[in-house]
Amino acid sequence: MWLYLAPTLVINVVIILIPALLTIGLAFFQWDGLSAPVFVGLGNFVSLWNDSVFWTALENNLIWTAIFLTIPIAMGLLAASMLLIVPRRGSTIFQVVYFLPVIIATAITARVWQGMIYSPVTGIFGWLGKLGLPLTNPLSQTSTALFGIATVDLWHWWGFLCVIFFAALRQVPQEQIEAARIEGASFWQMMRYVLLPGIRSTIVLMMVMTVIWSFLVFDFVYILTQGGPAFSSEVLSTLAYRKAFYDLNVGQAAATALVISLFGLVATYFYIRIQQREGV
Amino acid sequence: MGFRAKITLAGAALVALGVAAAQAEDKKPISWWYETAAPENQEALQKLLVEPFNAAHPNEELSIDFRGAELDKQLRIAMLSGSGPDIVYTAGPSYVAAMAQAGQLLPLDDYAAKLGWNERILPVFIELGKYNGKLYALPKTYETLGLFYNKTLFDKNGWKAPTTIAEMEKLADEMKAKGMVPFAAGNADWRPTNEHYVSIVLNSIAGPDNVYKALKGEIPWTAEPFVKAIDKLNEWWQKGYFGPNYFSLTGEQAFAQIATGQAGMAPTGTWNFQNVPRYFPQNNAEPAFIGFPSAEGVPSPIYALGIGSTFSIANSSENPEGAAEVIDYVFSDKFYGDINTVWQGEWNTPLKDLSKVKIGAEVLPLYGETMKSLADAVGKNQYGYTTWTFLPPATDTYLVSGMEEVWLGKITTAQFLEKLNAAFLEEKAAGKVPAIPAR
Repeated sequence: MWLYLAPTLVINVVIILIPALLTIGLAFFQWDGLSAPVFVGLGNFVSLWNDSVFWTALENNLIWTAIFLTIPIAMGLLAASMLLIVPRRGSTIFQVVYFLPVIIATAITARVWQGMIYSPVTGIFGWLGKLGLPLTNPLSQTSTALFGIATVDLWHWWGFLCVIFFAALRQVPQEQIEAARIEGASFWQMMRYVLLPGIRSTIVLMMVMTVIWSFLVFDFVYILTQGGPAFSSEVLSTLAYRKAFYDLNVGQAAATALVISLFGLVATYFYIRIQQREGV
Repeated sequence: MGFRAKITLAGAALVALGVAAAQAEDKKPISWWYETAAPENQEALQKLLVEPFNAAHPNEELSIDFRGAELDKQLRIAMLSGSGPDIVYTAGPSYVAAMAQAGQLLPLDDYAAKLGWNERILPVFIELGKYNGKLYALPKTYETLGLFYNKTLFDKNGWKAPTTIAEMEKLADEMKAKGMVPFAAGNADWRPTNEHYVSIVLNSIAGPDNVYKALKGEIPWTAEPFVKAIDKLNEWWQKGYFGPNYFSLTGEQAFAQIATGQAGMAPTGTWNFQNVPRYFPQNNAEPAFIGFPSAEGVPSPIYALGIGSTFSIANSSENPEGAAEVIDYVFSDKFYGDINTVWQGEWNTPLKDLSKVKIGAEVLPLYGETMKSLADAVGKNQYGYTTWTFLPPATDTYLVSGMEEVWLGKITTAQFLEKLNAAFLEEKAAGKVPAIPAR
């Protein structure tokens, strides 16, 4: 029987395990990606510890996680619950509309927001500025750059959560909903006592995945600000990328990647614990 | 058709196939991975380089593979595995040093002697392409920084091209008073735009002699001349010379503001000549380009040298002779004139003597004149050092965002230069600093 699993196991080892071990190994070497690696023990981690940009990036990943654990999930849940009220054909249309941003390529979404919305020259912000409503491009300010990027990703992402939650909500037993309705439950009471508990496992899963994805965030940051201005929107992935390909410091890039993995593992650990508890 | 005729025909076909195969085998392939190029520029390379080269060298077959913005990453991975292209095209000397150190590049000294590169190419660029005394790379193009301005706008306002820092600042203040942006600039699409301005002040304020000493490790980057230089750049930022939209504009959008008259001057590089035809004619404006003014005590102007890209030959190449012939063709007068007629700003090959070069009449004479002035100045050793060409990689990378920290008040000039110096010393110890030709 084990033989049937062997091919997938081989693929997993070759494609996932070996690169992962290489990354872990490289974190303890100084390597420029060209000459021979030199073992430096914990030197790369010490360098990261002393690097203020690393801490800024970590802080930004935590902020990003906090944003994405709250706003898009709330938006998705609210929209999904409202879709329950809409007749089936209408909800399908809304689902398609909400889902569209997810399937647009990241680079295109980012450039559309940068050039058509945020830009003071070619964007809606610029147009509003001419109308006497001056709005500052959030990507150009240190205090708002990260939030400007998060807004783009939010727009891109919340509809996906909505569709997931809507699918889950439709699995809630109809009898429970009918019983609550008969008992005169309000919309909010229905949400709190019937719907949310009913899809709790889906919400928890999405929150865990959100933590993991939040530490992996790279694409919108890289395209929109490259971590600027003045490192204000730097995240761990863009830091690792720059260290690997611009600083020619693959070892520290690998060490940074390990830190990212650490947070993912913590999230995974909590998810498994929750699952086990609920399973009992 | 009879049986014998069929056999004869089949035999003839086989012979023809054999001949064709033999002929194909005689052509030795030469591969070259290029970076991003617009479709019309890809076509220009095909018509002006690939086809003429292949026609002139029947036994060679050059092909150019356009790899786009990801070229340098793909190249590094390919070189590691020994499967890179014959002609190695990098983003600059700091990458060459690392590759040469790793043994991935072929020394070019013999080809330089045999093909006459030492006589045709400006000496500083031969020296710059050396690592541990051997020649590993040559620039495809060299660029410099200076000051573009709108001559039409200047004439209308009675302004004259500035020859001193004080004159330039006075002009900038007048422009601000008129609601213009003094320095057209933007880094929304390319954050390393920041180092164009750092390079300008390091060379025009601190002076190239001091930059040279710092690159040699003879003085630290925390020395007084560099403090003054960075303080001056920060002062310009705080005065608003760079305008309110520096972090929102792309480089091209910023340059367009010079043509429209929204901005007065553009301290930027010669690569922007490729944007002149797109923006100036439609605005009925005439561009001008001068060297950036220098502080007192520093020769004026200083042309800071930048190398946007270099050629090398892979050590693993199976056709190094063919690759050398391609590089030699690129350094011909004819190719210089042809390619610069249709694509300015990217193919200023470092030829010593541009007097035999013929650039098409449709190209703005300012371009040819600027390139000749630059070559003459370099020939007289009146040049400076851009940070992206002469600083090692991590130091250069820190400089880009570190300067933003200074501009936005997060760190002081002293702190910035302290970090820069620390990064530089670390990389110098690791042998990452590109070769610095004797001054």
